[in-house]
Amino acid sequence: MLQQLVNGLSLGMMYALLALGFTMVYGIIELINFAHFNVFMSGTFFGLWFLALLGYGRTSRPLSGGALILVLLATFLVTMLMTGVLGAVIERLCLKPLRGVSGTAPMITTIGVSLILQSLILFASNFANNVPFPGIVPTDRWSVLGTPVNVTLKNVLLWVSAFVLMFVLDAFVRRTWLGKAMRATAQDPEAARMMGIRIDIIILVTFFIGSALAGAAALIFGLYYGLTSYIVGYLAGLRAFTAAVLGGIGNIPGAVLGGLLIGMVESLSGQFIGNAWSDAVIFAILIVVLVFKPNGILGMQRPQRA
Amino acid sequence: MHTFVRRLVPSLIATAALASSLMPVAAHAQSYPSTISVGINLPFTGADAADAANIRDGALMAVDEINAQGGINGQIKLVPVIKDDGTVAAGQYDPAQAATNTKEFVADQNVVAVVGPQMSGSGKAMSPIASAANLMLITPSSTNPDITDPSFASQYRPNGQAIYFRTVTTDAYQGPFMANFAAENLAAKSVYILDDTGAYGEGIANSFEQQAISKGITVLGHDKLDPKESDYTTVLTKIAALQPDVLYYGGVQQAGEKLAAQALDLLPNTPKLAGDGMYSVGFIADEPQAAEKWYATIAAPDTIDQPEAADWVARYQSKYGKAPQDYALTAYDAVLVINDTIARIIKDGQPITRANVRDYAQNTNLPTLQGVINFDTNGDLKDKVVSIFQVRDGLYQFVGPAPQT
Repeated sequence: MLQQLVNGLSLGMMYALLALGFTMVYGIIELINFAHFNVFMSGTFFGLWFLALLGYGRTSRPLSGGALILVLLATFLVTMLMTGVLGAVIERLCLKPLRGVSGTAPMITTIGVSLILQSLILFASNFANNVPFPGIVPTDRWSVLGTPVNVTLKNVLLWVSAFVLMFVLDAFVRRTWLGKAMRATAQDPEAARMMGIRIDIIILVTFFIGSALAGAAALIFGLYYGLTSYIVGYLAGLRAFTAAVLGGIGNIPGAVLGGLLIGMVESLSGQFIGNAWSDAVIFAILIVVLVFKPNGILGMQRPQRA
Repeated sequence: MHTFVRRLVPSLIATAALASSLMPVAAHAQSYPSTISVGINLPFTGADAADAANIRDGALMAVDEINAQGGINGQIKLVPVIKDDGTVAAGQYDPAQAATNTKEFVADQNVVAVVGPQMSGSGKAMSPIASAANLMLITPSSTNPDITDPSFASQYRPNGQAIYFRTVTTDAYQGPFMANFAAENLAAKSVYILDDTGAYGEGIANSFEQQAISKGITVLGHDKLDPKESDYTTVLTKIAALQPDVLYYGGVQQAGEKLAAQALDLLPNTPKLAGDGMYSVGFIADEPQAAEKWYATIAAPDTIDQPEAADWVARYQSKYGKAPQDYALTAYDAVLVINDTIARIIKDGQPITRANVRDYAQNTNLPTLQGVINFDTNGDLKDKVVSIFQVRDGLYQFVGPAPQT
């Protein structure tokens, strides 16, 4: 039971990082960005390829100490940069021309981009499935306070990196000028524009940051599970999207809360009901929450736009 | 004019009568085409692509060797028509694609038999379509017993006659014999069972479970893994707490590799058993550490490690530059069965129709490297041999034939 909470926390952190990307984009332009699913998936491959470039392949031995931290930091930076750029390019090429087009056109476009990314990665990975990640993180494990509950180094690494990223994001959104401009745009784009904020830049930055977080989630995912494949985006993305909706789409703390909640629900329902029922439980909870709080747990009623 | 017609008509009738009386004679002197097509349907896209290639190469090697001798009976060359039933969306074999491919084979009048599918999930979709067209399928690796089981005949062979032939035995033996091995050789008292929700995975896991219970092994639980899911730590944590003597996984690689990778962390010391879905070139290549110590069965004798197959293995090796697996040999044998079937049709002077190919294949009695191939009336091999392997030092090492009781 407690061990499942450890699993759930790890899953939840990953979903939370991914949910942030959905929620930030939605907060700014009210668009559900389905391309995010496969930006995440591409991120697992960017991380894999960068590690291969550094000379770490499927047979690599675990690293330790300074070497591990250095390699991880470099890989995190590169992966996040690449997915960030990918997200920004998607915005510039595919979504900016559609700005102002009402209806579902932009959303359908993101679904299309998502499928294109999936096929590109499939080609790039030479039609492989289940591509192994180098096992550079040692499999150390510790028992918590003498109980049979184990925490692995991978768990700790996941929690620390996710926490640091969330903290940085929070500081960025609250304290920096750019963050302030983002919040202003989210509240009222017209007013923000009148105040001299260049909306297009803000949207681009939002896509960049959201996608970079997906890249971090992707790398964590790859190292944690030791495998990736061109289909991993779908289920992870769907659950992260659910997390964003559950927490209140557009709301940053809500996305984190939703992610953690879904991670916990998934592992506890796996323990007590059966693996096959996890999704049923997750979506049942989502429906119940949305019936009573249509804007999600932390979501607020948005002012109606004329 | 009239008289001419009156005189001509009887002679025309006489000529027609003469011609029709000569027809049976003409049938004996069949004129055969110089080529016929053999379909090959395997999942080249997705998780099982490496094994699909191994099987295809085995089949193509037989085709090339037959054609090098001038073709079947020295006169009819084989033309392989290769189709892929794996899809990007499924990430592995896709029964819907397999059905589409089968319809295309049926529509192509030159195709008289199909080698495949690799996976039983595809087989369930293909068999009824092939049955309606009387197009013989011969699978080198699909082992789900339902497809050939007479009690499901209305579902999988509405035409009544066997249409799904195999050069391997079925999971009706593969799963239970592994349970025997767990009880007799590993002295297992308890087991936890997982399957990947596929036709093959569920079938073999259930047949393992039944036999395990009758062998007195306690089944601590049976969970299903969604093959598209990435996280199996939840179910593995649950299993680790129950401490079963062995873990049995029924399924193919897509879920299996992820299971193995995560079990390396969470269930390092529990022996892991699986069917032929985890007897795969790709598994060890992808997960060299996690694959170590896994047991897997195949639904055939272990031929390629035997001295009499050394020449065959060497031919395969020199042709493709890699080592074959047993299902490359069963695929090779599947083509030999088609070759032998058509050769017998020619010997009898019969036309090469799909109906004849099916009927003659039914009476196959062909010595091959894996033993003499005979089919029962359902299309199953009469020989029931299951072999057990364990991954040691990055290779499937033959442990022995599985105990039959």
